[in-house]
Amino acid sequence: MLFEALPEISEKELEHFFQIMLTKYGEDFRGYAPASLKRRLGTVLKRYGLPNMQTLNQRLLTQPEYYERFISEITVSTTELFRDPSAWVALKNQLVPLFASFPQVHIWHVGCSTGEEVLSVAILLQEMGLYDRTQIYATDIDRSALEQAQKATYPLRHRELYEKNLKAVLPNVPFSKYAWEEQGNLVFSPSLLRGVRFLRHNVVTESTFGKFEIILCRNLLIYLTPSLQDQVVTKLIRALQAGGIFMIGTKESLFWCQAAQQLIPLNEVERIYQKKP
Amino acid sequence: MPYKENVAIVLCLHRLRNIRMNMAEAIGKVQRWHILEPDDKTLITGGKVYIAPADYHLLVEREGYFSLSVDEPVNFSRPSIDVLLESIVQARWARAGAALLSGANCDGALGMLKMHQAGYFTAVQLPTDAEIPTMPEAALALFKPTCQFSANELVQVCLRALSLYT
Ligand SMILES: C[S@@+](CC[C@H](N)C(=O)[O-])C[C@H]1O[C@@H](n2cnc3c(N)ncnc32)[C@H](O)[C@@H]1O
Repeated sequence: MLFEALPEISEKELEHFFQIMLTKYGEDFRGYAPASLKRRLGTVLKRYGLPNMQTLNQRLLTQPEYYERFISEITVSTTELFRDPSAWVALKNQLVPLFASFPQVHIWHVGCSTGEEVLSVAILLQEMGLYDRTQIYATDIDRSALEQAQKATYPLRHRELYEKNLKAVLPNVPFSKYAWEEQGNLVFSPSLLRGVRFLRHNVVTESTFGKFEIILCRNLLIYLTPSLQDQVVTKLIRALQAGGIFMIGTKESLFWCQAAQQLIPLNEVERIYQKKP
Repeated sequence: MPYKENVAIVLCLHRLRNIRMNMAEAIGKVQRWHILEPDDKTLITGGKVYIAPADYHLLVEREGYFSLSVDEPVNFSRPSIDVLLESIVQARWARAGAALLSGANCDGALGMLKMHQAGYFTAVQLPTDAEIPTMPEAALALFKPTCQFSANELVQVCLRALSLYT
């Protein structure tokens, strides 16, 4: 049982694709790391039985109604509740010491995908007694992921992993306190989202909105080239309050980024940083 | 494998997810080879052995650095050998070779075929020598590699690949 090879995509076809995205939809994919972007595009071609990139480009040009679904398919939405539990334990240990005295904590979750990490943060804040003082903004370019995030409803098959991750982060909190089975799905308590606003936002092309005490941007930067990573991180650090927390994925790094000089590591292994006061 | 300061070795092993065993740190340095798990966008340099981190796909970019992805598993595997090898072909590196060893599924077969078709050196472990023959068998069903080998010949195979490029 072998999987069929993905179609090849030439530089010219890719260039044409960038132009269409830019001029017709105002979306800029030029700074996405080519290896995985090509892979994703190849997967889309295969899924739709399109013979080559030219046909996909043609479709994007002539069928704008296809666009949102396309965005959803080329972005990688993989996420989970408390992915990398030790990173969340590290964050948990910082929250109270840093923010207990704050009247309001503004959090920006960049690239929140289907929302499992937003729920992770919400559960942490709830358990630390900080939730009612926080305002969470969760953004992504993938509208259908955001819709799922707003429902906080997931396939039941994830239950075992999510329960295990929660236990690793908050050993005394029963999973059933926040999630249960409903009509064959895993549903999280809607009250966890009472302080969350989901917004469609492209962190590459759009400007930031406001200042934040905490910015989380995990496993989004890996899809960008080093120079675009630099630009995006610079932008995010600018939107961070002095003394605020910046958290990236545990395999992401800031060594390409000039602006990272404004950060000090709170936990280098878990990639949690603080903006210098 | 004797140390070569201008050669990088990339290992893609199927391992259990969520066990953040930092294999690289466990191994550290062997015969001057520096062994590590690369982060995203790590520059690929000689004298290093890179081990694909658990639960991420490892890809190479034309400009000579790694990218990671959490794209869905391929052949039930993340990291997937196919994903890594296809990225090498896509990047059109001038000098690369691949060896496929024992394994329990067909991941790697397609990537090896693509390497082969693109004219790269390919070596596949003899199924009779492999602990689990599924993986080499899947590759051999698709194409005839540059050579086949048993595990104790792996170093010679690597040196042979290198000799093609010097
Ligand atoms: C792999 S998911 C990460 C989810 C979660 N943060 C985690 O680490 O588990 C990456 C997300 O980034 C989003 N994304 C990619 N490019 C983006 C952009 N330019 N602006 C906003 N979101 C983007 C994708 O739609 C996807 O949902």
